[in-house]
Amino acid sequence: MELPFPSKYPFTSEAKRAVEESSLELNDEVMERAVQRVMAAVRGEPGAAYRIHPSDEMLELGSYVAARMMLSSLRNRFLINKFAIAEAKRASWLMGKESGENLKKLGDELGVVPGDFEGRLALPVPAYASFSPRSVDYRLIFRNVKGGFVEVTRHEVIRLMEEAVKARMEDLKPLPNPPKIVRDYAKKLMALVPKEAEMKMSFGEGDNPPCIERLLEQVREHQNLNHQARLVLATYLLAKNVPIVKVQSMFSNLPDYEDRVTKYQLEHISRRGYSVPSCATMLSYGLCVADCRIGSPLRWRNWKKGKKGSS
Amino acid sequence: MEEREKRFILSSFSGYYRRASIAVPSVEQREFGIGGFERKIESRHMGFESDASLQNYLVRDTPLYISHSIAYYRFPKATPMENKGWMGGDLVFDLDVHGGLFLSAEEQGKVRQDALRLVEDFLMSDFGVRREHIRIVFSGNRGYHVHVLDPSYRMLSGEARREISDYVSGKGLNYETFFNKDEKWKLYGPKEDDWGYRGRFFRTAMKLLEESPSRIHRRLLKPEEAAILREGMRTGLWSKTSIPDIVERMKPVADMLPVQCIEVDTGVTIDTKRLIRVPGTLHGSTGLVAQEMRSLGDFEPYRDAVVFGGDPVRIEALQPLPAQEFLDSTMEKMEKGERREAPLSYAVYLILKGAARLS
Repeated sequence: MELPFPSKYPFTSEAKRAVEESSLELNDEVMERAVQRVMAAVRGEPGAAYRIHPSDEMLELGSYVAARMMLSSLRNRFLINKFAIAEAKRASWLMGKESGENLKKLGDELGVVPGDFEGRLALPVPAYASFSPRSVDYRLIFRNVKGGFVEVTRHEVIRLMEEAVKARMEDLKPLPNPPKIVRDYAKKLMALVPKEAEMKMSFGEGDNPPCIERLLEQVREHQNLNHQARLVLATYLLAKNVPIVKVQSMFSNLPDYEDRVTKYQLEHISRRGYSVPSCATMLSYGLCVADCRIGSPLRWRNWKKGKKGSS
Repeated sequence: MEEREKRFILSSFSGYYRRASIAVPSVEQREFGIGGFERKIESRHMGFESDASLQNYLVRDTPLYISHSIAYYRFPKATPMENKGWMGGDLVFDLDVHGGLFLSAEEQGKVRQDALRLVEDFLMSDFGVRREHIRIVFSGNRGYHVHVLDPSYRMLSGEARREISDYVSGKGLNYETFFNKDEKWKLYGPKEDDWGYRGRFFRTAMKLLEESPSRIHRRLLKPEEAAILREGMRTGLWSKTSIPDIVERMKPVADMLPVQCIEVDTGVTIDTKRLIRVPGTLHGSTGLVAQEMRSLGDFEPYRDAVVFGGDPVRIEALQPLPAQEFLDSTMEKMEKGERREAPLSYAVYLILKGAARLS
C-alpha cells in the first residue's frame, strides 16, 4: 500500500499542514520514537527510520517534529548533521522510486525544478549552484551550461534534491524554551555524542593554508566532507606527521564516520605514501579558497616565513 | 595630503554631488559605508530612506568614498551584521587591472574587453541573465564592476557564488575531465552540441584542426586522418581516430581555453555582504565617477568618467609625470617640482593619487 506523502516527506509544507491539523501531542510514545529516529541516524542505520506503516503515520510525523525540537534545543552540530544526512538519504531513497507527479511536487517545495531546455533535462543555474554536492563531477565548470540552465540526468536531480533536504534539515531555528518533555528526552540524545569528537590540534593557528584550515573547520563543525576533501585532509595531516590514531580521532567528527573503514583507509594512504594534491588539483576539486599560488598546500609554512622575512 | 588640498577636494566633490543624480535600486534596503583620506571604509551600517536623502547627505557631508551593500536587508542600519536580516544580494563581479599612475590604452582595452566578454559570453549566454538585469559600472579607478540584479540569482550563498566565480575565471579547469573511457576502451569527449566549456573546447579543437593540424599531430596533415578525427569529435566518440594519445595531444587546445576566461576578484563575488562603490559617485583615489554605462563600446575613463571640467588650477608635481591623454587633450610631461596650470579634473586626479599638490 502506498504510504501517504507527508509520512514519506515530513519536511514538506504538506506534512507541516497535516501536523497542524491533527491533534498531535508530544507524549512519551512520540518522544520515544523521536529518540529512536535520532539514534538510528547517529548509528548510520537508515533502515530503522523507514519503519513506516500507514497506521503509524501520525506517530512517524510526530516523531520527526519532536526530533527536530530536541535538536533545536540542544544546538549540537554533531547530532544535527547526523540527523540531516540520515533524513536526506531516507528521502532520496524514497524519491528514487517516486512518480513524476510527486517528484515535481517535491522539486517545487525544495526549489529544485528541472525543465526542458533545447530538448534536454536541465536545472536553472542558481538551483544547481545552490544544491550541487561538493564533488568534482558536479563542479559547474565541467558541466554543460547554457542560457541559464545546466544539463542534468534524473538521477542527478534526485541527488540535488537530497542536498536540498539536507540543507533544510541543517537549518534549525533555536528553540529557547522547549517543553519539559522535550528537554527531558533531549538529555538522552546528548549521551550519543562521542567524547572523542573534540578536536585537539597540535599546531597553532596560521600553520596551515586557508584551504586546509577550512576543511579542519568543517570537520570541527561536523560537516560532511566529500571523498576528495577527506583524501586531501588525510594526506596533508599524515605528511605533517600527525599520527594515524589522531587523524582518525579528528575524522570521528564527521557525521558518517565509521571506525573500521576510516582506519583501513588511513593505513592504506600511509602505506602507499599518497602525496598531498597540488594546488592545481585542489582547484579542480573546488577546494581552493584563496589565491596563495604556492603550488602545494605543504609549502604554506615556508612561503609564510618567506613573506614575513621580506616584509 | 595637506588640509588645503583636502578642503579643495571635498569642495569639488560636493559641487559635483549638487548637480549629480544618484539612484540606487532598493536604496532603503541597502547598507552604506563611507571612507575618507585615511581609509576607504571608515564607517558603515548607514542607511538612507530614499535616493533624495542619499543625495542630500552627499552634498552636505561629502565623503571621499561611498559604497553600498550588494545585499538587501530588512534593517540595513542594525548591528551586528546578523541583526540586519539578509534578504539576498546582487551577484557582483570586480574586474581590475594593476598598473602605474595611469592605465595604458592596452590595459584599459583589456579590462574593457574582459567586462564585455563577461557580460556577453558568460552572464547572458551561459547564465541566461537578461541585459536589463545587468549594470556595468566603471569602478572609478582601475576597472569595472558588473552587477547582476536578476532576482533568481539573489539568494545564492557564498559557496554557490564561488562556483559561478570559478566558472567565469576558469579556476580548476582540467580538460582531461572532459574525457572518459568506457569498459570497451572507447574514448568519449566534448562533442558538437555540448554547452559551456565542453562546447568551447570542442569549437577550439575544431578550429585548431582546421588551421594548424600539425600542432595536434603530424598525421593530421593528411586530410583523411583529419576527417576521421573530425567525424569522431562531432559525435563525441574521440577514439574513432587511431592516434593513441589524442587526449594528451589536445593540450594546445586546453592552453587556449584560459584566454576565453575572465580574471575576476573571487573575494568580491563570494562575499554576500560586500560593500561596493555606489554607481554615479566619485572614487576618492581618482576623482573619476563610477559611471554606469549602457554599452562599453569605446568607453575611455580619462575622457568619459571625468566630471570636474577644465577650469585651470595651479599645481606642483610631486613626482615626474608622463604626458597623458586626459579630457580629450594631451597633458604635458612634468618634472618633479615643476609648477603649472592644469585642468581642474586632472589636478584632482593627481592630488588624490599623491602625485601633485596645489601650488
